[in-house]
Amino acid sequence: MGDVRNKTFVVTRFDPDRDEAPRTQRYQVPVQPDWKVLDALNYIKDEIDGTLSHRWSCRMAVCGSCGMSVNGEPRLTCKDALDQYGDTVEIGPLANFPVIRDLVIEMEGFLEKLKSVKPWIIRAKEKAVEEGPLNQSPEQLEEFRKFSMCINCMLCYAACPVVANEPDFLGPAAIALGHRYNLDSRDEGAAERNEIFRGEGTVFSCSYANECTEVCPKHVEPAAAVNQAKLNVLIDWAKGLVLPRGGAQ
Amino acid sequence: MSTARPAHPQVMQPSRPGPTRTAPPMRPARMPLRGPYLTHSLFGATGLIYLLLGLLALEIVWALGSGEEAWNRVRENFQHPLYIGFHTLAFASILFVGVRFFRLFPPAQPPRIGPAKPPPPGVLMAMLYAAWIGVAGVLALILAGRIF
Repeated sequence: MGDVRNKTFVVTRFDPDRDEAPRTQRYQVPVQPDWKVLDALNYIKDEIDGTLSHRWSCRMAVCGSCGMSVNGEPRLTCKDALDQYGDTVEIGPLANFPVIRDLVIEMEGFLEKLKSVKPWIIRAKEKAVEEGPLNQSPEQLEEFRKFSMCINCMLCYAACPVVANEPDFLGPAAIALGHRYNLDSRDEGAAERNEIFRGEGTVFSCSYANECTEVCPKHVEPAAAVNQAKLNVLIDWAKGLVLPRGGAQ
Repeated sequence: MSTARPAHPQVMQPSRPGPTRTAPPMRPARMPLRGPYLTHSLFGATGLIYLLLGLLALEIVWALGSGEEAWNRVRENFQHPLYIGFHTLAFASILFVGVRFFRLFPPAQPPRIGPAKPPPPGVLMAMLYAAWIGVAGVLALILAGRIF
């Protein structure tokens, strides 16, 4: 164990009942060498100012609750070591999201986008239970495994320059999730999802800034998913032109 | 953050407002010209260079159709420092966009195209660079009058 070091935390505060707009508040925190950003926030909440609101749950980069802006970058605060920052650390709510209170963002819009890509297995005809499970080989799993690791932390939305300007943009995580099901060997709903992906504000709104992939704490590579989905939509569209009953599978 | 600017007010808003008032969304603090966003903004800005290059190409075609005198005047203009500066900038833009595109191309490949798997990222990059150098070389030989 090394020495405890004092750091100043500049935290964005917003009380919808009292504040016109978000403001910042400074806190001095004695930081242990092995602390993550979330540890400092919990210290502020427990020891200095109980009115501070922030989301967190698992503390092991699985639940995706504690995404925040740290020194202007979207970070999963339970995974983000404090020793990489200087004496002053700025913590704010995730960019590109409305703020409910302090560091808590409104995620309902995100959940609506997520649901809109039909993130479940669609079958043309449901298999009866007696017929057994839908088997999948390790090779088939590998085709989409990376895209299924998303924990819905929304860092990709906070980093995306398109999200900031286009309210209707489905966004990286939702498209990656839809693409993940399109690649799933058990799924038969690619045509339905590609119909969604062909619409306004979906895959072709992405300008491939790649920021979503850069900030993803689970290495999902949403930018790759979005751009693979573009190709699939194009192939599907081209098949529809040349095949009599459309190209959709 | 203090340096961030407001995002579009409707960004990530739910279809029905929640029970409490919310603060409007802010853009990423470093957008558009700091940190990783600079590359993306520069990439977008190169579109202006390509627009100017397109206009220049039209001028060249126009001069070709207007006789030898007009063509020679265009060639003389190419000696002007402004033209040389612009071409240098255009060359840098093409290199920048090419390298960026080649770096982002391999991850965008689907796991399969029909029954075939795409080549590994390294091979794909090598193929892209080889094709780029090959096409540039052939064009250079044509312009130098060595072939055709």
